[in-house]
Amino acid sequence: MQVLALVEKYRSVLAVGRFLLTLALSGAQALTPSHYLSLSDVARLQNLLSQQFTDLESAYYSVVGLTKLGATVPDHEVRKTFVKSQLDSTSVDSLFFAAEISRAISGCEIPVSNETRDLLLAAVSEDSTMTQIHRAVSALSSLGLPLASQEVVGSLTARINKEDNVMAITMALQTASQLSQQAELGGILEEIEDLTARLDDLGGLYLQFEEGLEATAMFVTAAYSLSDHVDMEPPIKEDQVIQLVNSIFSKKSWDSLSEAFSVASAAAALSGNRFHVPVVVTAQVTSPSLSLSDSQLLVTDVISQPLDSANVVVESAYAVASKTAILNQAPFTINDGIFELNFMSSQPASGYYQFTIAVTGDSRLVANHVELKVKVSTEVAVTNMDLSVVDKDQSIGTKTTRVDYPSKAKSSFTADSHQNFAMSFQLVDVNTGVELTPHQTFVRLHNQKTGQEVVFVAEPDSKNLYKFELDTAERKSEFDSISGTYSLYLIVGDATLENPILWNVADVILKFVDEEAPATVQPKTLYVPKPEIQHLFREPEKKPPTVVSNTFTALILGRKITFTILFHLGHAAMLGLMYVYWTHLNMFQTLKYLAIIGGVTFLAGNRMLAQKAVKRYACQMRLAQMGPRESLMVERKPSPFPDNKDFSAVRPLGSSYLQT
Amino acid sequence: MSNSVISVISRFLDEYGTTTPNKLKVVDAYLLYILLTGALQFLYCLLVGTFPFNSFLSGFISCVGSFILAVCLRIQINPQNKGDFLSISPERAFADFLFAHTVLHLVVMNFIG
Repeated sequence: MQVLALVEKYRSVLAVGRFLLTLALSGAQALTPSHYLSLSDVARLQNLLSQQFTDLESAYYSVVGLTKLGATVPDHEVRKTFVKSQLDSTSVDSLFFAAEISRAISGCEIPVSNETRDLLLAAVSEDSTMTQIHRAVSALSSLGLPLASQEVVGSLTARINKEDNVMAITMALQTASQLSQQAELGGILEEIEDLTARLDDLGGLYLQFEEGLEATAMFVTAAYSLSDHVDMEPPIKEDQVIQLVNSIFSKKSWDSLSEAFSVASAAAALSGNRFHVPVVVTAQVTSPSLSLSDSQLLVTDVISQPLDSANVVVESAYAVASKTAILNQAPFTINDGIFELNFMSSQPASGYYQFTIAVTGDSRLVANHVELKVKVSTEVAVTNMDLSVVDKDQSIGTKTTRVDYPSKAKSSFTADSHQNFAMSFQLVDVNTGVELTPHQTFVRLHNQKTGQEVVFVAEPDSKNLYKFELDTAERKSEFDSISGTYSLYLIVGDATLENPILWNVADVILKFVDEEAPATVQPKTLYVPKPEIQHLFREPEKKPPTVVSNTFTALILGRKITFTILFHLGHAAMLGLMYVYWTHLNMFQTLKYLAIIGGVTFLAGNRMLAQKAVKRYACQMRLAQMGPRESLMVERKPSPFPDNKDFSAVRPLGSSYLQT
Repeated sequence: MSNSVISVISRFLDEYGTTTPNKLKVVDAYLLYILLTGALQFLYCLLVGTFPFNSFLSGFISCVGSFILAVCLRIQINPQNKGDFLSISPERAFADFLFAHTVLHLVVMNFIG
């Protein structure tokens, strides 16, 4: 491989540096609020609360809810007259709604008579429901009427023991916050801790009552209003506060006016209490085309109101890949509600950075340590692109051709099986001139005729110089040995690169030795149906041919004729053996076989003939008993049991006594 | 003369047809067949020549041997010779005949070349 002279090292570095910074919240380590009311959410909530109301209750939700969000209540006069027309001075509920509205809107006085006062005071007793006590106490408080706080505490405690549910206790907390600070509120204050223990934890992210969103939101509201009232920090941990925030603000569309009212109340409580104010840190969303030199943060409370008094400091920042710190205790500067930090002044390399940001300046702040993931992207340039064709035996000096991005080499390169095609280049950061090694650096060869493409990975060496060498003989299988003109592409990509590169560098003509038939190149059809699966029955066991089994069956069934058949077969076999002896065998082999066949035939014949003899004798015996004249044959035959033993002399076989 | 000869022959055939058992007639037919075979072989030898001499010999010996064995069988199974062969039943005779044939043809096959 030739070594390229590194001329024009940073030739293509552009004059203007351009950085892009993207910020993303990563809530992996510290728990931070993942749900809050954005400005558009607040607007929708206000819109929902501003709708036309039909009765005093919806008017109460609307007016008080809007007031809690800090919004102006529209149509003051209309509402005042509506309240006055709807007011029923004999109903505690009606008086409560009207009193609360009159407190929220100035100039909406309600006439208070002695009967009204007596009605409300009478409602504060152990026999009334918690709702009745709450509404009566609230109405009395709103109307500025005196009440005996200690008595109310007594009846509240009694009701809590009777109505042991979340909504009732929450109302008791709210009622207690209206009472005099001199009353003994300690017992009721302890209920906050009890209720907190009843919250359900969902995956460590959410904390809520199973009674629903409204119960959770009203509990938060009541807990903070009572804590503010008695000036004691509520027994809720910081993580629990964040989990409550997540569960209350995760729902972005509200079913009813009362639910929207509860969310608005909770939002007001969480952003305006004296103990816990959750911080929401969001990155300023910017379009990628903008040039930024700063990282910009929005630091707000849960209803997206900026916390201008806060100090925002980067406690530490380090590169994710190399773990090297780049910033330490760098403060953000506030600029029109947006916190900014000129991060780029420290000239960071492209890549990912982990920021730990602390929001201080107020002891109430919760979730004030935030981790941010920052991506610094850059632009890449391809330099020193050299192409050459090298002979394997190195006998001919190499001639390299330099190609400049993004133009294409004028002449095409030809490489046969005795040559290597070589390519070398560098990737540099346009802004800093530092060599880069992006994640994806590919060399793609695309056959112009068949459309086939082969992709190789280009690897950098220790000096970050990319070298790609194509051995035509070795790599021919990957090309299916198809010679032809290939377009050479360079592909460079990375998540931190703004300008991914696809560059048609040159045309390369590759010549392979043994070109296969082009039929093999045809793209494989992937979507043909697979061969049908046939059920395979178990193969039957091997059995002897049916002829053999049938023969033996017949032999066993007819044992009488068995020997006859065997005898005749044996005899036939002997004749056959004679023929074979004539054609193939010698005397000794023949005698061996003859002994076998003859033995069988002898035994079979013996049995067969014995049977015949027995039959004949039996027949003759019968004939003899019937009398000598009854058979024609017997006349000529001598008696089967002759008395003359002299005739039994054996005569030679050859002696011829022909008698007719 | 001729009259007496004819009468003798006719009487012979008559007697043969009526008194000889069927089994013996079958054996006689077999004997005639062997006789003719041997005569044909001899005729062939006279006409064509004795070139595969051992083949001719084995064939002729086969005929002669078979004829002799068949005659022996005929004698032994003839009911009129019953008294001479009391210890030899017809079945025994047949078995002997077959055994002798096997040995004979072993020799014949060996000789045939």
